Amino acid sequence: MDDIKVNQNPKLGSLDRPNSYIGRSLPRENAKKHLDGGGQFVDDLTLPRMVHVAFLRSPFAHAEIKSINTNDAKKSDGVVDVFTAKEIDEVCKPWIGTLGHLGEMRSPEQTPLAKKIARWQGEPVAVVIADSRAQAEDALELIEVDWAEKEAQVDMETALDSNAVVIHPELGNNLFWTRTVNQGDVEKAFKKADAVVEATLDFARHTGVTLESRGIVADWNKAENKMTIYHNGQAPHMMQHIIAKHLDLNEGLVRIVSRDVGGSFGIKVHVYPDEMAVTAISKKIGRPVKFIADRLESFTTDIHARCHKISGKLGVDKNGKILAMEIDDLSGIGPFSMYPRTSAIETNQVLNLSGAPYVIPNYKAVGTVVFQNKTPMCQYRAVGHPIAVAITEALIDKAAYKIDMDIDKIRKINFIPDNAYPNKCPSGVPLEDLSHEASMDKLLEIMDIKEIEAQNEEDFKKGVLTGHGVISMCEVTNPSPLFYGVGGAHISSQDGASIRLEGSGAIHLSSSITEQGQGTEAIMKQIAADQLGVKMESVRVTLGDTDATPYGGGTWASRGAGIGGEAVLKAARKLKDNILNIAAAIMQTDKDTLDIEDNNVIRKNGGEGITLQKLAETVYYRGHELPKGTNAELLATASFLIEGIPFVFTNSAMGCQVSIDQDTGIIKINKFWAVEDCGTQINPKLVEEQIRGGVIQGIGGALFEECVYDNQGNMQNATMADYLVPMAYEMPDIIVDHVTTNSGRSIIGAKGAGEAGTGGAPAVIMNAVNNALKQVNAEVVSQPITPEKILKALGKI
Amino acid sequence: MKAAHFSYHEALNLQDAIKIKAHDDESVILAGGQSLLPALNMRLSSPTCLIDISKISGLNEIKIDGQTLFIGALATHSDVMNNKTVKNNMPCMFDILKMVAHPAIRNKGTHGGSIAYGDPAAELPALAVATNAEIIVSGQNGDRSINAKDFYLGLFETTINQDEIVVGIKYPLLKKGQKIVFDEVCRRHGDYAMAGLIANVMGSKNDIKDLKLVFFATGDKPDVADKTARLCLENGYDYDKLKNSLSTEIDFAGDLNSSSEMKLHLATVLIKKVLSKLEI
Ligand SMILES: Cc1cc2nc3c(=O)[nH]c(=O)nc-3n(C[C@H](O)[C@H](O)[C@H](O)COP(=O)(O)OP(=O)(O)OC[C@H]3O[C@@H](n4cnc5c(N)ncnc54)[C@H](O)[C@@H]3O)c2cc1C
Repeated sequence: MDDIKVNQNPKLGSLDRPNSYIGRSLPRENAKKHLDGGGQFVDDLTLPRMVHVAFLRSPFAHAEIKSINTNDAKKSDGVVDVFTAKEIDEVCKPWIGTLGHLGEMRSPEQTPLAKKIARWQGEPVAVVIADSRAQAEDALELIEVDWAEKEAQVDMETALDSNAVVIHPELGNNLFWTRTVNQGDVEKAFKKADAVVEATLDFARHTGVTLESRGIVADWNKAENKMTIYHNGQAPHMMQHIIAKHLDLNEGLVRIVSRDVGGSFGIKVHVYPDEMAVTAISKKIGRPVKFIADRLESFTTDIHARCHKISGKLGVDKNGKILAMEIDDLSGIGPFSMYPRTSAIETNQVLNLSGAPYVIPNYKAVGTVVFQNKTPMCQYRAVGHPIAVAITEALIDKAAYKIDMDIDKIRKINFIPDNAYPNKCPSGVPLEDLSHEASMDKLLEIMDIKEIEAQNEEDFKKGVLTGHGVISMCEVTNPSPLFYGVGGAHISSQDGASIRLEGSGAIHLSSSITEQGQGTEAIMKQIAADQLGVKMESVRVTLGDTDATPYGGGTWASRGAGIGGEAVLKAARKLKDNILNIAAAIMQTDKDTLDIEDNNVIRKNGGEGITLQKLAETVYYRGHELPKGTNAELLATASFLIEGIPFVFTNSAMGCQVSIDQDTGIIKINKFWAVEDCGTQINPKLVEEQIRGGVIQGIGGALFEECVYDNQGNMQNATMADYLVPMAYEMPDIIVDHVTTNSGRSIIGAKGAGEAGTGGAPAVIMNAVNNALKQVNAEVVSQPITPEKILKALGKI
Repeated sequence: MKAAHFSYHEALNLQDAIKIKAHDDESVILAGGQSLLPALNMRLSSPTCLIDISKISGLNEIKIDGQTLFIGALATHSDVMNNKTVKNNMPCMFDILKMVAHPAIRNKGTHGGSIAYGDPAAELPALAVATNAEIIVSGQNGDRSINAKDFYLGLFETTINQDEIVVGIKYPLLKKGQKIVFDEVCRRHGDYAMAGLIANVMGSKNDIKDLKLVFFATGDKPDVADKTARLCLENGYDYDKLKNSLSTEIDFAGDLNSSSEMKLHLATVLIKKVLSKLEI
């Protein structure tokens, strides 16, 4: 791979100077640590006097807890205590997963352990605290619960029926939230259309399978009134606030430490009842308490996502111009809206983002979100995007087929032109700095559509159904306060960086952005070293510790590089300015004649400079040598926040070719192409791996992943053997290319790149499958597209 | 997901293992642990004692024994895949084992473990039935040899007695013109199949003289389809006829990834796929 990308961002300086690290595919230093087994995950931590917990979880999707008898369990070997809701509620206040900025949301109070009624299979009901996890599990078997099983409301499609089981009687029905977007007049526009196409797609529930399961160690120190939480989350400062609020602690005395985290995908950015219970237990018993979710717990209690059924309608004129689009989306989120981000956001994104790349003058979207007795659902990588992109792109293909137009042509004539930004989504959400035209051109160039079409025909003659698809999409990244903060959530949209030159000449950087394996630490180092003019290896980075890093939002919504990276850039520039001021004083020269290269302050016109180490030594150890009044600040901090627009969008174009075995229904992805425009790529290799990893998760959603439930609400496949994630063998070659349109909102110009793959792959795979099936007049409308669904579509079974 | 309490005994020799097993009804053999340990951790089973036979020497032997290929119970899937004697005498074994899980699991999972466990979706029990193999077990009263077709009774149920241990499998050596062909359909590479077929064929593609069809991942044990095999021999491949015949011969049991209807369809097309692998 080409190591050096053309740096198209003049604000960053040219790439042919020393220490120009931004834009280079440099290896990540922290990967070595993991290869060497030297990572520090929550489960690696053992504290003195630490105890372990195991949760008794509801075996039923909906049941009344008539009584719980914990007497025998309390006597079991190694057991410290057994708690139910009563004891936990004494220290932890309930929460409600609603926000104020998106219209009325209705969700009841939720407590760490279920009281009286359990509402999903897996909801924690009681907890055993013991010297080891195994002993805690032994004692679980001795807890006697008198259950009265209730009828469960499993199917989201009947949740609002008059005879539905109402999960929270106080709410009257199972409606959580609904929203309607109406731009223009779709009715009138459909009447004018030459062709109107319709589609109804459904998306199974799936979840984000993290390599490291959720884990927490809570350590209450009574003497200091201090709560320390070791947690593998994504947003330490958010957790700090939540734990202080619900346990009635001084927020300043809650410390959240997130060291290495083995994947998160949005799964680990929510407040989980079992983790809150662990914190409450530590407060109650005054000992460190560890909880590591096992895989069964991960599958039934990590948030699920998707679970949508969406109908759409698209009207075009005879030239292929889109006149109107209408969608109606239904989603089921389990029995509670998750705290604090709510479970409305996925549907909200579907409404906001459908049709986003295109000029669609008339747009109507309705979203309905209902409760059901299944695992709670919430934001997972590419929130809502797979649904929005799949319905849009399915309708566009259908329209193209109907008016007999090429699938790339119909897209091109409907794109918001690259030179027409700032602009708006059909839903009215503002857009800027996008490049659908250039990205699609690039995609078609690297795909060679003619060759692909020839291959499709060739395969058809051999009895193999081969087809292809292309799509375009927008990805929400770098959110502003309008995402959560405006609704009342204590989730910071601003991030900070702090950078210092130490006495040894070393640079220390800390950032409020966190790392879950994506390479955050590496890119922060690259930015700092680049902007300061030092070697990468002289920068040390601290992340994920509320006692040691600046305040900020953490990592989610693809915001690390664009927001956190800009803060690092600004801090590094400030520190550089300070250093040059001090150097000018020491060297008795004008600051503008100086620069920093390779850890030395140099004279631009030649002549002797001074090393950063020498400069630091002078400042710290012989400060008296400096001219009086020199501002000898070797520490700089900066913050950054997106203002003036709700989100900075990234766009991408994707294509793929699939082959279907007509006998077995097995789909093979022959090849996948993605063109991404995420503005400045700080480390192209990491960007490409984000895209590839995202595409793989998208393949999971499209072809494999599904939380299968029976009609009583029991999850049927809560193991890694039965819940299918794509593995090496299922991964096609993924060719990645780029178009670069910098974000005008920052100096660094970076947009996010973490979610497009997951958001776009399901749509393009489905379109390619349907392109292949079209040859025999068949179609699939449901994800994951299993072999059985293919065989049914082909009329074979 | 921690196993319930159990005691652990590392068997020094076969007799030692048999003795403990005979005396404790709730003790079980631990071989490669690839099926047993997950079951223990999920607390699907909680035996009193694990008798670890993996250190017993000699039980992993692979050799030609008279007119049979003998594979010792402790030979791991990887051992078998890489063994020359196996390659020369039963070339199908490599292709079959390649579809059993993944390298890390194959490095631990044992031939005898797979045979003894009797998972209806596993490849080796079907292979043993298709090839008319003998399963050699050792118990308090010495050794006995059980024909594979009599060994499997039902879901994870075999004729093995509490005091007995599988010591090896004897596969009859292939005769001239005899071939074992195999195929399976799974969602992902290495998964248990949605349906699989092992065919024991005498003859060539255009001139099949004898045919035995044994399906796996279709019912509660390896499913022998003699009637369908005869029909195929007589009429050649006719999808509708064979499907109809299979539906009367096998009690297809659907699972998470494939309904019984799907399994019936896949079983039928597997006959075509497998026969197409024969040489002309
Ligand atoms: C992710 C995964 C995927 C897999 N996929 C497949 C697959 O596609 N196809 C397939 O066939 N298998 C598959 N397996 C199972 C694998 O092949 C196992 O190794 C095998 O089934 C059992 O062998 P083992 O040595 O691990 O037995 P163990 O797990 O040690 O034992 C299994 C059972 O057999 C008994 N047992 C073991 N050895 C003996 C003996 N000598 N005598 C009497 N009883 C004995 C034990 O008591 C236990 O009840 C998979 C396993 C995993 C974890």
